[in-house]
Amino acid sequence: MIKILFISNRKNVIEKYNSFFNKKNTYEFFTLSDDSMILDVISGDTPDIIIVDSLIPDIKKLNKKIKSACENSIIIFLVSSNSADKDIIKYANALITDDMSEDLIISTINITLRMKNSLDMLSNSNKDLADSLYRLNALYSTSSQFAGTLDKAKLIQYMIEGMDKALSFSLTCTLSFCTEEKPVLILNSLYELSDELVTAIKLRTVLNYNSLFKDKKAPLNIDAENLKVIKQIKYPASRFTFTLFQYDNMFAPISLGDNFFGCVEIFKETAFSPDDATCFQTIAQQVALPLKSATLYQEIIEANAKLAKLERLKSEFISIVSHELRTPLTSIKNSLDILMSGRCGEITESGDKFLSMAMRNVQRLSGIINDLLDLSKIEAGKMDFNFAPTNINTVIDYVKSALSEVAKSKGLTIITEEAENIPDIKADSQRLEQVLTNLVSNAIKFTPENKTITISSKLVNSKDIHINDYFKDSVKLVDGDYVLVCVKDEGIGIAEKDLVHAFDKFAQIENSLSRKAGGTGLGLPIAKQLLEAHHGAIWCDSELNKGSEFYFAIPTAKIEQLV
Amino acid sequence: MKKILIVDDEQDIVESLKFVLEAADFSCYCAYNGEDGLRLAKEIMPDLIILDVMMPKINGYKISRLLKYDAKYKNIPILMVTARSQEEDKLIGEETGADEYITKPFELDDVVKKVEQYLK
Repeated sequence: MIKILFISNRKNVIEKYNSFFNKKNTYEFFTLSDDSMILDVISGDTPDIIIVDSLIPDIKKLNKKIKSACENSIIIFLVSSNSADKDIIKYANALITDDMSEDLIISTINITLRMKNSLDMLSNSNKDLADSLYRLNALYSTSSQFAGTLDKAKLIQYMIEGMDKALSFSLTCTLSFCTEEKPVLILNSLYELSDELVTAIKLRTVLNYNSLFKDKKAPLNIDAENLKVIKQIKYPASRFTFTLFQYDNMFAPISLGDNFFGCVEIFKETAFSPDDATCFQTIAQQVALPLKSATLYQEIIEANAKLAKLERLKSEFISIVSHELRTPLTSIKNSLDILMSGRCGEITESGDKFLSMAMRNVQRLSGIINDLLDLSKIEAGKMDFNFAPTNINTVIDYVKSALSEVAKSKGLTIITEEAENIPDIKADSQRLEQVLTNLVSNAIKFTPENKTITISSKLVNSKDIHINDYFKDSVKLVDGDYVLVCVKDEGIGIAEKDLVHAFDKFAQIENSLSRKAGGTGLGLPIAKQLLEAHHGAIWCDSELNKGSEFYFAIPTAKIEQLV
Repeated sequence: MKKILIVDDEQDIVESLKFVLEAADFSCYCAYNGEDGLRLAKEIMPDLIILDVMMPKINGYKISRLLKYDAKYKNIPILMVTARSQEEDKLIGEETGADEYITKPFELDDVVKKVEQYLK
């Protein structure tokens, strides 16, 4: 039935329309002769159509009154066919005239009704669209916030804010496992919650939580009584009552795979739509991934801090031990010096043999302590380098002359093959001497009698440097020219399986000869670190029982960049 | 005979230094902690002091500073001896006015040579 209210102060007109509409049983027709009662009539039973006689006094005011009371009704004005005041159409949805036929009036009413219905539908779908858009925006801004932090407490806060933006809740109860050491219940409420209500919410939350783990063990047993609560109240002047539990509610876990971060329940006075439910689930799921990242990040930070502390302790330990060892070592060395100098009397041949043995081992111990100190200094970033233009051939010559005697005493020959076109490099010459001395000393140690050790240098482009498979991954050279130094021996060589470990700390290759040769196994790792400080690299080729070739390369730079 | 004051809490080191320095015709006075060292320095007015850094009571840096900033003693050469070898420690040693910085373990002959050099 279409309800029509007819307002006219003309009796004959009322009668005419009354008889006309009452004939048709699709209409419920009622009339008013003036506007005095209008608000009572239309507010009780809103008509679909209101037809107003334009001869009613102050029609514009009446129109306003109707619009304010029932904005959804259609207003049609009845005007006389010769009326001059046609511009009142502005206020109406349609016009009918006195002289219109009944069919025409019905058809005008029907068209207007249909139009109105279409408009209503359009407006509703617009509203839905606007709602979706708003929710999408809320989701978007929430996920942007999620991406911007690795602070777990902030992530939970952003989740709650996001839910408020998208769903405007009355209360959220978030059981968070990840913001503090123990689980905590965060209550974001519009109004104040009494202690009794909070106790009830706690119990409810723990029940909800346990229901998530019906068949398996819950990550933690939660005792509702001792559960810590954080309340955030928007309007503390008002209070929620227990009727809160009659509100519409939704519940979701915050988890990713096996990682459980908590759960959230949300209450609202009006009903949640299916879209609301999707949105709620999405936000609860979305926050889990950044929470997982934050957890991993935190673990990395903690592990790193632990490692750094261990590293520092190790360095301090080495440093202290080395210093403490040096003092007694000095006393032993001084005593041996005095005895060997003959100042305390003549020494027998066998006495001299044992004194020399003691002295050799004091020097060895001293070398070990120096190596340990060097390594701990490099690792602690405390090693001082004195970079200056350096010619590698000068370094080679120095090392050759320093070690020739030792080599000769073992029946070995050191020869050098130095390229002449080698430019100066930016280097600490003393450190390079240390590196080269170590390589040549090793060669002397591990090469049997009557063999040769060759030290060579050349200028070579990185693309022409061949690095074997064992070091391809660890040795990285940038494009450009390098000074390449090679120490080649005809010694015992290194087995394939040991090759990659040659530069590891304390990794002196296990065999009787190396043990006999002595050493800390720190020389090569120190050499590696010293070269890395020069932006250089070290690696080796070797064949068991044939010999080894140790290479190191240091980038060249323009001389003006050196000083 | 030139007087040398050796201050080190390591008696063995004092002993060996004393031995070689006496053999080189120096007269040696020994102290085994900082307090005694400082007192003895003022008492005997040595020609040179060999001074350890890490010592109980008063450390070597402090003794060096006290002597070097006192017009009466500032011309006494000080050879600082220590097991420390970090560059920054060396700098502290120089700031306190020490004339030489020797790290353990050292060559006894080198110390004797250095002493002779200063007392030429």
